[in-house]
Amino acid sequence: MLRKLTPYLLALPLMAFIAVFTYIPILTSLDLSFREWDFMSPDRPFVGLDNYTQLLNTHEFWNALRVTALFAVISVPIRLLLAIGIASFLVRETAASRLLRGALFLPSVTSTVSIAVVFSWVFATDYGMANALLSLFGLPKITWLQSPTLALWVIIIVNTWKQLGYDIIIYIAGLQAVPTELYDAAAVDGGRRFHVFRRITVPLVMPTTYFLLVVSVIEAFQIFTIVDVMTQGGPAGSTNMLVNMLYRIGFTLFDIGQGSALAVMLFVLLIVLAVIKSRVLGRKVHYEA
Amino acid sequence: MKPDNRLLTILALLAGLLFLSPVLYSIWMSFQTATAYYTGGFEFTLDNYGRAIGQYNFARYLFNSLLVSGLVTLIGITVATMAAFAFARFDFPGGNLMFGAVVATLMIPSHISLIPNYLTLAGVGLLDTYAGLILPAISNGFAAFFLRQYIRGIPRALDEAAYMDGATPLKVLWRVIVPLARPAILSMGLYIFITEWNSYIWPLVAVGDQDLYTLQVGLARLYRINPGEGPIDWPLVMAASTITLLPVIAGFVLVERHLVRGITMGAVK
Repeated sequence: MLRKLTPYLLALPLMAFIAVFTYIPILTSLDLSFREWDFMSPDRPFVGLDNYTQLLNTHEFWNALRVTALFAVISVPIRLLLAIGIASFLVRETAASRLLRGALFLPSVTSTVSIAVVFSWVFATDYGMANALLSLFGLPKITWLQSPTLALWVIIIVNTWKQLGYDIIIYIAGLQAVPTELYDAAAVDGGRRFHVFRRITVPLVMPTTYFLLVVSVIEAFQIFTIVDVMTQGGPAGSTNMLVNMLYRIGFTLFDIGQGSALAVMLFVLLIVLAVIKSRVLGRKVHYEA
Repeated sequence: MKPDNRLLTILALLAGLLFLSPVLYSIWMSFQTATAYYTGGFEFTLDNYGRAIGQYNFARYLFNSLLVSGLVTLIGITVATMAAFAFARFDFPGGNLMFGAVVATLMIPSHISLIPNYLTLAGVGLLDTYAGLILPAISNGFAAFFLRQYIRGIPRALDEAAYMDGATPLKVLWRVIVPLARPAILSMGLYIFITEWNSYIWPLVAVGDQDLYTLQVGLARLYRINPGEGPIDWPLVMAASTITLLPVIAGFVLVERHLVRGITMGAVK
């Protein structure tokens, strides 16, 4: 009898944590999104789809959706292009490439808050590194983080700087799976380096690219920390991402209903992307079999 | 080493230093006085660290981060290993369903549980406690998924030999599986520790009491709520930032390869 119970007892602690802090919260969010509640009052009246329609009628929601989508659409291709280019140079196991890989990878495991703080200094108007470099060339100061057009680009640069090493490592793993005979054959044919890159490297790591593409888009839609530290969504909402908006509605305004409605909408969007991802990865496995 | 290899290595070193220069410069800056920094000179001091640790409570934040990340890692890896053993070695009704639920957590974005977890913990009086910081962080299925795959690669004959000798399942887990899965367990422990060390949004939400701030929350606060009038005291902020960065950088230098292996295995699987 005890024998039969053993696997259940072993799995129980993890399952309990997952149920309480991951699965039940999805249902709770859904339920709260149909209610009006400020976290304080004793009752939580059911208001149907009100929270959703109100959200869809705010400028802030559409702006946050636009800014987040813009961030994803610009930053993901930049990351992947840089990563595949750099990875194709660092794929060989030499001391030089291992060294550079380590340096490039380091930011992806370090504190996002620290990185955001350091880059707040880099892009500070006075005494910042970026403006110091500009002044070397006699160029005027730029107010990077106070400019509604530039602030989003700064966020993109910082995020790319942090995540690039991860993309590179994944690409290197993908590239190392490519049979070297293909490169040798191309070399025999007198293929030039860029030609080999375009005709052989890029198509062969397509599964890796799909994987990174979907993972990075999902991640981009959840960006929060860099924005919270560097701009708080400003100036003039130009960097206000969906999760930053969620944090503000939920934990500054304590509008639990509307915050939950926003969480549910973002959840549905990300789950759709995640399903696309598992389809894509499923296909990759199929190819390899 | 051939001379052109040495040249390449030096070039790679320079490129790496250039890439990391903002962080390297911030560490350098943390050892200067603010006056020297703003007037363009250099004057060595440890005063920024003294003030960050003393006046601005960073010793406490460091302690909190170590405690919280340490306990999340310990509890997280324990429950994950137990579950992974169950999923890898037992055929039981509901087992596949449960494993599916574990794998599915990898797809579930964490923001959906932010408000509900806040309410749950408020309901049982665990906001503003260490437990409130720790418990929700354990509900991640990645380590269990990864370890289950790894344990399946260990020959079953080893378990069976131990069972023949009269060992209990727990004993098999502890004496056979855990020692053989050590590299995977270490990789995952490291992964959990780093993820938790860098975690920001949950500690920001779950804690209002300054004495319970983790380094991430403390650093963000110190930077945003600029102490004093006038320009930001960058050397002080960078000392705090260095305290936040350094443990992970030090760990990284020691165990980079384990980390890379864990991450690429997770991605390619």
